[in-house]
Amino acid sequence: MAKKTGSEETVTYVDKSGKRLDGRKADELRKIKVEVGVIPRADGSAYVEWGQNKVLASVYGPRECLPKHLANPYKAIVRYTYRMAAFSVPDRKNPKPGRREIEISKVSGEALARAIFLERFPNTAIDVDVEILDSNAGTRVAALTAASVALADAGIPMRDLVAGIGVGKAGGHLLVDLNKAEEDAPDAVDIPMAILPNLGEVVLLQLDGLMTQKEWEESQKLAFQHVKKVYELQKEALKKKYAVEGNSGDMEAGARAAEEGVVE
Amino acid sequence: MNENNAKIVVVPGEVVTEERKKLGQHVYLHQGRIYSDCLGMARIDGDSASVVPLEGKYVAQAGDLVVGVLISEKFAGYTTDVNHFYPAFVSKKELPENLKPGTIVSAKVAHVNEMNELELEQSRVFYGGDLISVSPVKIPRVIGRNGSMLEVLKRGTGCSMLVGRNGRIWLKGSNVGLAIKAVEIIEREAHLDNLTDRVTSFLREEGRKAEAAKYA
Repeated sequence: MAKKTGSEETVTYVDKSGKRLDGRKADELRKIKVEVGVIPRADGSAYVEWGQNKVLASVYGPRECLPKHLANPYKAIVRYTYRMAAFSVPDRKNPKPGRREIEISKVSGEALARAIFLERFPNTAIDVDVEILDSNAGTRVAALTAASVALADAGIPMRDLVAGIGVGKAGGHLLVDLNKAEEDAPDAVDIPMAILPNLGEVVLLQLDGLMTQKEWEESQKLAFQHVKKVYELQKEALKKKYAVEGNSGDMEAGARAAEEGVVE
Repeated sequence: MNENNAKIVVVPGEVVTEERKKLGQHVYLHQGRIYSDCLGMARIDGDSASVVPLEGKYVAQAGDLVVGVLISEKFAGYTTDVNHFYPAFVSKKELPENLKPGTIVSAKVAHVNEMNELELEQSRVFYGGDLISVSPVKIPRVIGRNGSMLEVLKRGTGCSMLVGRNGRIWLKGSNVGLAIKAVEIIEREAHLDNLTDRVTSFLREEGRKAEAAKYA
């Protein structure tokens, strides 16, 4: 967003003590929360809170691909829908899918398709629906992060989880995980990236703005470094579902397990 | 890192082992390491590495016994919902006449082609009873090693049971409610050890309670 200078010039994106507008350090992520299996009727689902961003992802399939002309007899197709709720932005958003949402759906679907073993399910469709409930920059990477956890929850065979991260530049500083205020800087560069952390592959990369080659190399390094944290959170959330439960939710089962422990 | 037979929950893309092993189910090889391809329990038995999935859809294999529900009648058979990617066809040859949609049938998977389409054979009709669904990946735990768990369930509840590999279980008897409860326990705790013991003690407990209620 290009605003008149004058007022913009007074904004310092990283102050002398190395803190950003919201108090984070230059290479600090916002607070991320990942939950698995939040939609009981879906094959797989996940909920991610990433700073102010709130994202709900659901996965259905692999299932029969209808209409049939979309089906591919060699592999499954991924139908990814990224949608922003009307109330997810300060001014009401027209719920009709716009140019931006359609494009994000396309590139994110292709990012996930790289991770999934599609050839095991010919002629089928895997539907991934992601709804953005609240947004503050970086929703597409939060959406991909949620979607890949939902895919794992659905038991769909994948090469790796897909972890997303945003890196970029504001006020001449290289930053990790930009928020809306930083994204609106006059010289802002925002680079959403999705990475397969174990295989080291980049499956989504978009960049607008201007950067020197050195800056780009540095921000790429930052992305690979910090995506690990996102990945660890994804992993932790998935494993938590199958941590030795017994005592979570079902008291009776816990008591039974304890009783048996005493007997043995 | 892994000990023999140690069970560890792994996520897709997590290394199962860095040693050279035979590739079992749900693992893949990349640059000399063996990775998991799904959320499951990593298992290393001797010289092979595999992952037992904890989530997933039913993918048919020849020889599976499946439980299906008739959807609609065709000239020579019925289209049947077997909880697979597509409906399957069962021939009228082996079935009694005039079956209505909604009838429960069992069948054996004769052949699965490369498009994951099924051919069924040896179909039988099951009248009455109840049909419940469980996650298909947990069916092996419902059956148990050599059918041990199924034996416990049948004896403990007095129900006739038919367990389909596709995640459908047909139950008939006076104590279906108890059987459903027991199956729910199995589904919830499928990834834990000593499941048969736990289900046995649950059924014994419930049986005792029922006995007590009779004389109360």
